[in-house]
Amino acid sequence: MDFKGIHDRLRAIQAPGLLGADEPREADPEVEGDKGRAGDPFVLVDPQAMPSFLECCRADSVLSFEMVIDQTATDPGTDEDHFWVNIQLLSLAHKHRLAVKAILPKSDPVMPTSALVHKTCRWHERECAEMFGITFEGHPDPRNILLPDDWDGNPLRKDYEYPEEYHGISCK
Amino acid sequence: MGILEKQFDENLLTTKVDWLLNWCRLSSIWPMTFGLACCAIEMMAVGCAHHDIDRFGAGAFRASPRQADLMIVAGTVNFKMAERIKRLYDQMPSPKYVIAMGACATGGGPYYKFGYTVVKGVDRVVPVDVYIAGCPPRPEALLEGLMKLQAKIQASSVIRRPARTA
Repeated sequence: MDFKGIHDRLRAIQAPGLLGADEPREADPEVEGDKGRAGDPFVLVDPQAMPSFLECCRADSVLSFEMVIDQTATDPGTDEDHFWVNIQLLSLAHKHRLAVKAILPKSDPVMPTSALVHKTCRWHERECAEMFGITFEGHPDPRNILLPDDWDGNPLRKDYEYPEEYHGISCK
Repeated sequence: MGILEKQFDENLLTTKVDWLLNWCRLSSIWPMTFGLACCAIEMMAVGCAHHDIDRFGAGAFRASPRQADLMIVAGTVNFKMAERIKRLYDQMPSPKYVIAMGACATGGGPYYKFGYTVVKGVDRVVPVDVYIAGCPPRPEALLEGLMKLQAKIQASSVIRRPARTA
């Protein structure tokens, strides 16, 4: 099933938290400064409804997205006030894919965990949490996964300040 | 022993204690089995038949730091690993030597600017005897580094301090 079909099906079954969709397009020469959009088509989902959205996508027999391939977050820049949370879904039964995105405000980066729906999200959410400072509420194992336990700051944030030293070892 | 058998009378050799001890040490530098990243692949190649680090007496990779003389830091050192490296170095018996193999172990390498958890050179954690450039270095470069270390050991002195130059 192509992206349009998936999006129509999501609307037909009234998937919880579905806000909209965006597809890549060419630059419009009529509009000045328009660069178009590259990348994959994605659906935009309310972050607070993400677990139920993933559960709905898995349960529906037409979609049957039973696998999370990847979950990441993106910091679009210091002048933006939100993070992107990105999830890539794959259906093994129907061999189609879907990119799911959610906008999370930087002032309050809290969203419910998807780890109870897809176990893949356990490690990915731990990485998002330590790298961006996003809190996944209800996560079964919210430790750091890559960084040391006593590490300060969230390294993949664009406004991250590099530490001067760590345990007496100079970082500069 | 074939052709050497019964060719010599019983002999006495005269040598210096320094020379003899240094010769013993440099001819059997046992490295620790210890690799951190892609440089370790080159280190393994040096251990295999084609390059054969055993020609220089350094082929016995020991699985315990307590049996090792040489630590080849082959790869990227991050802060989590740095404390383990320090502990392993402390567990090695003296005399002990460290080779920083490749750009990462020498000075952070490609992670120098944006590697937030990379130690910018393993010499901030343990003292380094020989630095080897390359990313990763060729096996020949590691052998060259080993020979540099052997030259350094040969120049060391057990029974007196080396003369200080003013």
